[in-house]
Amino acid sequence: MPVSSTTVTRRTLLMLLAGALTLLAIVAMSGWLAESTRRYSQAVARMTEIRVVAGNLLSQLQDAEIGQRGYLLTGDRHYLQPYENARNAVGGTVARLRRVNEGEAGTAGVVDRIGSLAVAKLEELEQTIALSEAGRKDEALAIVRTDRGMRLMDEARRSLADLIGQADAQLDAQVTAMGEQASLSRWVATLGTLFILLVVGGAVGIVLRYTRELVQAQRAIQILNGTLEQRVSERTVDLQRANDEIQRFAYIVSHDLRAPLVNVMGFTSEFQEGLASVRAHLDRQPAEQDDAVASEAKRAMAEDLPEAIGFIRASTTKMDRLINAILTLSRQGRRTLTPEPVSMQELLENTVASVRHQASELRCAIDVASPLPSLVSDRLALEQIFGNLIDNAVKYLDPVRPGRISVRGRADGNGLVFEVADNGRGIAPQDRERIFELFRRAGVQDRPGEGIGLAHVRALVRRLQGDVTVDSTPGQGSVFRITLPKILTLSPETPAHEA
Amino acid sequence: MKRDPQTVCIVMIEDDEGHARLIEKNIRRAGVTNEIIPFTDGTSALAYLFGADGSGQASAGRAHLILLDLNLPDMTGVDILAKVKANPHTKRFPVVVLTTTDDRQEIQRCYDLGANVYITKPVNYESFANAIRQLGLFFSVIQLPEAEA
Repeated sequence: MPVSSTTVTRRTLLMLLAGALTLLAIVAMSGWLAESTRRYSQAVARMTEIRVVAGNLLSQLQDAEIGQRGYLLTGDRHYLQPYENARNAVGGTVARLRRVNEGEAGTAGVVDRIGSLAVAKLEELEQTIALSEAGRKDEALAIVRTDRGMRLMDEARRSLADLIGQADAQLDAQVTAMGEQASLSRWVATLGTLFILLVVGGAVGIVLRYTRELVQAQRAIQILNGTLEQRVSERTVDLQRANDEIQRFAYIVSHDLRAPLVNVMGFTSEFQEGLASVRAHLDRQPAEQDDAVASEAKRAMAEDLPEAIGFIRASTTKMDRLINAILTLSRQGRRTLTPEPVSMQELLENTVASVRHQASELRCAIDVASPLPSLVSDRLALEQIFGNLIDNAVKYLDPVRPGRISVRGRADGNGLVFEVADNGRGIAPQDRERIFELFRRAGVQDRPGEGIGLAHVRALVRRLQGDVTVDSTPGQGSVFRITLPKILTLSPETPAHEA
Repeated sequence: MKRDPQTVCIVMIEDDEGHARLIEKNIRRAGVTNEIIPFTDGTSALAYLFGADGSGQASAGRAHLILLDLNLPDMTGVDILAKVKANPHTKRFPVVVLTTTDDRQEIQRCYDLGANVYITKPVNYESFANAIRQLGLFFSVIQLPEAEA
């Protein structure tokens, strides 16, 4: 099935579009995954911070308790150092914890609680230390023994663990979601890649097939071209042969027609001479009155027979002219053309000069346009062509008005166009093809001629690889138009004929 | 024909009997009285000129003048001309080609083959009769070679 180029283009474009869309989907998928990864790493960072901060807070609270315990046991203020450090740091740590959990739903309560637990713990420690400093060590120990401090610590530990646990759960959820996304992306990427491969493969396939078809078509055209040239040259040879055949036929026929014509004419002459002697003899006979037979014979001798002989002679003479015309034509067809540079100006002016005398007697003006283009062609053929046309123009002038004949020429594309225009009697439309046929004439038959001139013109023009046409308005004039190549090149297939 | 004109025969090879008759009449009008042997085809003419064996021995000792038409029904006159001019017994017979053809190449070919005169038959009868009569006069003055023994 041949694929038209538009179908191929449309299909290829559609496939490429589908491929591009798939690629876009894969890119979007990757973007989504990257975003998800970013969120995950944020969550991991937060988680780490929560762990660190929670750890710090716990150890600070424990440090504070350690310092309190040491002081309560020894009464030495030196042991209060860790407590002092821790108490100063806890506020910052709690604030940091709060900051880390900012914007996290469900953790604010826990953080607040941790904050108040830390404050309560520090208050409890401060109270005991203050009592101890005031020398009321027992009261301080009694507060310690209430286990409130221990409970506060336990609670703080649990709350911190809660916080870490929540963050852990969130991290887990994030990991799970990311895993799902990653596997989805992988699927999309795999399927997309497959699809793109398919699309590209299809497109490449179509293009390859199309290219192959193009190459095949081109090869077929080349083969056709080759055979076409061969066919044309074969046809040309055939035509050439047919043409030669016709020329030979015309030649042989006219020759063979001549022989009997010589006999007809010859024996007519013999007959005429015989008649003359019989007539002389009869004239010498004394005329007998009332001899009807004798007077009838005399009348036949004097009138009928000479008239018959006259008709025979006129007909044979005419037939002789026709045969000679065919001979001339066929000889013209066999004449070797010799292309040479010809100045049409000179040629046409010479041709016109040869009829000018005749034309001036008919009050006819002939003008040749100037300048006229020159060409390379057969001079003799050109002389005969334009001689015939100009002769005809002079011959068929309309007597009701002074004749005007103009000869002009111009270059037209690759060829030259010459025109012989007259204001003569013109040619009726139905006769415009007929006049170019042999022995055919048009219009009132009041001029001598055999109907050969234009047939001759057309045969010659065609041999010069040109054409002749006529435009005419009956009663107003005619224009004979001759197109000729600028340079007549004789093809080598056309063998030259010697006449 | 100066040399004993009565012994010289005119061999006329002309397929058109009308033409043959007109030629004969007009030659006679010029006062030529030699025997005229007419042939209407090439085969019988060749048989007469070269004998049954085709060797040409038959023509030894004869004195002939050949009037030859080129358009014959069975062969072209050019072939007859070539054979006549190639045979030792007939090659000196003057050959007058009298034909309708005025093809330049044909005329050249005939002279190349040894034709002595080439005349194109005029189509107009007066010219034709005139040409033949002049040919007859020409016959009466030309010198012919000795017949070989």
